[in-house]
Formats: sequence, structure tokens, C-alpha cells
Amino acid sequence: MKVAIKAQGLTKQYHDILAVDHIGLEVFEGEIFGLLGPNGAGKTTTIRMLTGQTKPTSGTATVASYEITHESIKAKQQMGVVPEVSNIYDEMSAWNNLIFAAQLYSVPKIEREKRAKELLELFGLYERRKDRVASFSRGMKRRLTIAAALIHKPKMLFLDEPTTGLDVQSSRMIRNLIKELNDSGATIFLTTHYIEEADQLCQRAAIINQGRIVVVDNPEKLKASMEERHIIEISFSPSRDLNDELKGLSCVNDVSRLGDKFRLYVDDASEVIPSLVDFARKNSLKIISINTLKPSLEDAFVKLTGLSPEVMTAEKEPIKKREE
Amino acid sequence: MRSKKDDCDEGMVMKDMHSSHLGREIRVAWAIAAKDMRTYYTQPPSIMFGILFPFALFLSFSVGRNVPLATQIPILVSQTLFFASSSIGPVVIPIERADQTFDRFLTSPVSLLTILMGKTLGGIIYGTGISIIPVLVGIAFFGTQIVNIGAIIACFALSTLAFSALGIMFASIPGQTVGQVMMPLNFVRIPLLFISGVFTPIAELPPWMQVVSMLSPLTHTVELARYSLGGGTFFGPLVNMAILTFYTAIFLFLGIRFHIMNQRKE
Repeated sequence: MKVAIKAQGLTKQYHDILAVDHIGLEVFEGEIFGLLGPNGAGKTTTIRMLTGQTKPTSGTATVASYEITHESIKAKQQMGVVPEVSNIYDEMSAWNNLIFAAQLYSVPKIEREKRAKELLELFGLYERRKDRVASFSRGMKRRLTIAAALIHKPKMLFLDEPTTGLDVQSSRMIRNLIKELNDSGATIFLTTHYIEEADQLCQRAAIINQGRIVVVDNPEKLKASMEERHIIEISFSPSRDLNDELKGLSCVNDVSRLGDKFRLYVDDASEVIPSLVDFARKNSLKIISINTLKPSLEDAFVKLTGLSPEVMTAEKEPIKKREE
Repeated sequence: MRSKKDDCDEGMVMKDMHSSHLGREIRVAWAIAAKDMRTYYTQPPSIMFGILFPFALFLSFSVGRNVPLATQIPILVSQTLFFASSSIGPVVIPIERADQTFDRFLTSPVSLLTILMGKTLGGIIYGTGISIIPVLVGIAFFGTQIVNIGAIIACFALSTLAFSALGIMFASIPGQTVGQVMMPLNFVRIPLLFISGVFTPIAELPPWMQVVSMLSPLTHTVELARYSLGGGTFFGPLVNMAILTFYTAIFLFLGIRFHIMNQRKE
């Protein structure tokens, strides 16, 4: 398979902070590749280096065989970039934003208007094409940003946290869109701190933590690496904090609480379930539900990085645009 | 073996590639300038620092003085050329940094030079448009006459380019508010008013101040404006044009260098 994006020894140092530490990765043509990690792991810095917005301290990156530092114009002609903060002009209309984006990529005039119309219709924004973007919702702005990145029909698309801060419906729409774009042949590189998003979308994912790549593999193989662990999910009534007591049961390696449910990581579920029934009886608890689960990508992530899932779900401070 | 025809054809292809590449860069620079005109010309900081400021300064130093208003037209033209042209870059670039829309240029297949040329062009057009108004008012109401069309064209062309480049140079200060860039720029612009023949003719200044005055780019704008509208010059129009050209080159060079240095730090 042909390599579309390649990074070798990519490093970025800001004074005494090593944001990205000698990372290497390859993304093949036609795949959706995810860079998964908590906030502050180095995802945005990595994508900024790959897209030519930030100069690496050392190392190289190539996009469509063009080296990003020395052949940046040619490399950028091959890619569309969707940053974390929608970089469209609030003071301009949706239509003018797309036309301007097309001008930056030297899309011919006749093609520009045709393409703008197509994209606005695809993203459900055509009716609002003459409205100032300042009046758009966050989800609409994100859709318009993606449309602007596609105006010149790039072979690859870079998306930095595409669904952060969006409601469930908008997130779902964006994810479906990403899948459709990939189905039509685009190579997608995305960063995310949502483990589920990486699991649903990516054919391969790299887990990054503290500026270093921990592992690169496809999500199913990462989950399969956890299969020696069994997981029992149980909920009791009345619901109360039982972490310490459950950890004290034999053959229970770890316990985490998710809402009203407890996840027990055990060596053998068949040995632990009778102990749980005894435990409930002795503590006057009623078992509301009990399930055995396959390891998730989240479980693999926790094992590989040592980070708790709560670290991943902690939202970054939203980047505020200037007040109007 | 390559023939002369092969070399000639390759030369033409290369020339086509260079000219089409240059053509593309010019079109993109123009698109950037047009976008800035649409988006930022009527923003409050542009109006405040580019239009109200020079007119207010002019009125504050003209009203109550026993000087015919018609003779002050070159001063007003010079001040608007100076403030209007140099205000656009420092308004647009910090706003785009704060909104993170400047990054759109960095991800596009556009060189930093083209981006800055587009921004400079925005300042040139703004400065020209605003400064034409006092010329037209002078002609319509005060009997002002353009006696040297070449001089006024040179005055407008060189001044708008030099001062727009000055604004772009200051806009390399990595601030995200207009104030963070405009404050140091005004720290330079306002003192220049007092040494550039705006309030006191250069001929009336002591010799050492005449030397200092020669170093100010605004001096040469004032002189060329006066010369083109029927007045005299102290240093001569050729010296005026040469020094404005020199400052244009310096400000463009430094502006580009500072922006490249900023990019490296990102």
C-alpha cells in the first residue's frame, strides 16, 4: 500500500517544553488514521507540523511524497485542513467564505462557484449561504470549515478534534461525513481524545501520550490484546460507593465506577460471579444488572498508557474567539 | 541528444511555469486584499485609527490658526496617507491571529510573501481611497490645483506602499489585540508628525532638526504633496522620491523578515 503521510523523528520543543518527542508514523492511502490521546498529549502540535503550520524542531514529514518544510506549497495543494477552532470568517457569508477558500487554492472561477454550491448543498447549508457566519451554530461552522477544506478536492484531509464541543447530532453527522469521504477515496488523518470516536472511525490508530507514540495498530487488534482480561459490569440497588469492598473480593484485579455501574477487571468471570451474588446478599443489595463485556479500546488505552478514562473525557478549556 | 528546439521548448515551458506561478501568486494576493477590504475596512479600529485620527489631528492643529485652509490641504493629504495606509495591517493581522483565521493562510498553498503582499495591498488601497477625499475637497471647495500630476501619483504610490509596509512590519509583533500592535506603532507615528514639516515648515527648523526631518519618511510625503499642489519643497522632489523608495524597501524587507522569524517560533 502506498504511503500518503509519513513522519520520521518528528520533534517540537518550545523553550523547555518537549511537546512532541521524536514520533514516527505512516498513513496509507485511503485509510482513516487516528491520533488518539488526552488533552496536552501533543496531538495538535503533531498535526500542525504535518500540515506545515508549525515548523518542526527536528525530524521530517512528507505528505503525498512532498517534504512539508521544503516543498510546502506542493504538499499543501494535496491536503485540506480542518483545525480544532473553525477558522472561517464570521464577518463574511458562508458563500463568500467558500469562494475565498477556493481562491486561496487557485480553483478556476467557473469551478469555484459550482463547487461551492455542491458543498453547501452536501452540508445542508445552501439555504443559509448568504447569511453571515457569525449567526451560525457551532455545528454549522464546523460543517462550513470542512466544506472549505474540501473546496479544491484534496486527496487527503487533516481534521483536528473534529467533533469536540459539538452536540450528539452534529457529532454523528460529522462522523458519517468522514466515513463517506473515506469511502470516496480520501485519506483521512484525524486527532481525537474520544476513544469511542477512534474505535468507530479509524482503520488504524496511534495512541499518543506526553508527546510520544505509545502504540500504532488497528483498534480491533488493540482490543484483542486485552482478551486475557475479563470484564464484569454490575449495578446494585441501592447505589453507593462500593469500590473498596469490591476490590477486596478474590480474583478481582481492579474496579472502576461508571455512573451507577461498576466494572470489575477479573481473571475469570465464572469464578467471580458467585462471589458477587454472595456479596450482594451479605450487604443487603439487589443486583439490577450484570453483564460480561469484551475489552474495549478504552480498556486497551488505560492498560497501555496508565491513564484513567476520566483524563480522556476531561474537556480542554474551549478556545475562545475574540468577543464581537 | 537535446536539440536547440528542446532547450527552447523547455525554456518556454519554464517561462510559462514561472509566469503562471507569478500570475497565481498575484491573483491570490489580490483575493486576500479584496477579502480584507470587505471584512475589515469598516471595522471600528480601521475607522478610528485610519480616518478619524488624522482628521481629528488636522483639525486640532488647524482650527483657530490664522492660516488659509486651502494651504493646509497638502498637510491633510499627507496625514491621511500616513495614518490610513499604516493602520490596516495592524488592525487586520492581530484580529486574524485572535480569531485563528490567519492559520487559514498557513495551511493554504500560498507563500508568506504572497500573504504579506496581499495585506500590504489592502493598506495601499485604503490609504489611496481615504486620501483622495481631501484632494477632491480641496479642488471642489478651496481652489486647489494639481500642478504636477506625476508628483502626486508618485506621492500616493510611494507613500501608500511605504506606510502600508510600515504597518505590516509592526503587525509582526505577536499580539492578539489591535491595541498591542497599534500602541507601539503610534509611539512612532505621532512623534514623526512633529519633525516632518507638518506643523512647522522645514525651512523654519534649526539646521540639526532639518537633518532629522530628512530622515523621516513622512517629511517626503508632505513635500511631494505640497509640490504636486503648487507648493515648494525643501529637499527637492527627486530626493523625496528616492528616500520614500528607500524606506519602502526597508519596511518591506524588515516586515517580511520579522514575520518569518515569528513563523519559526510558532
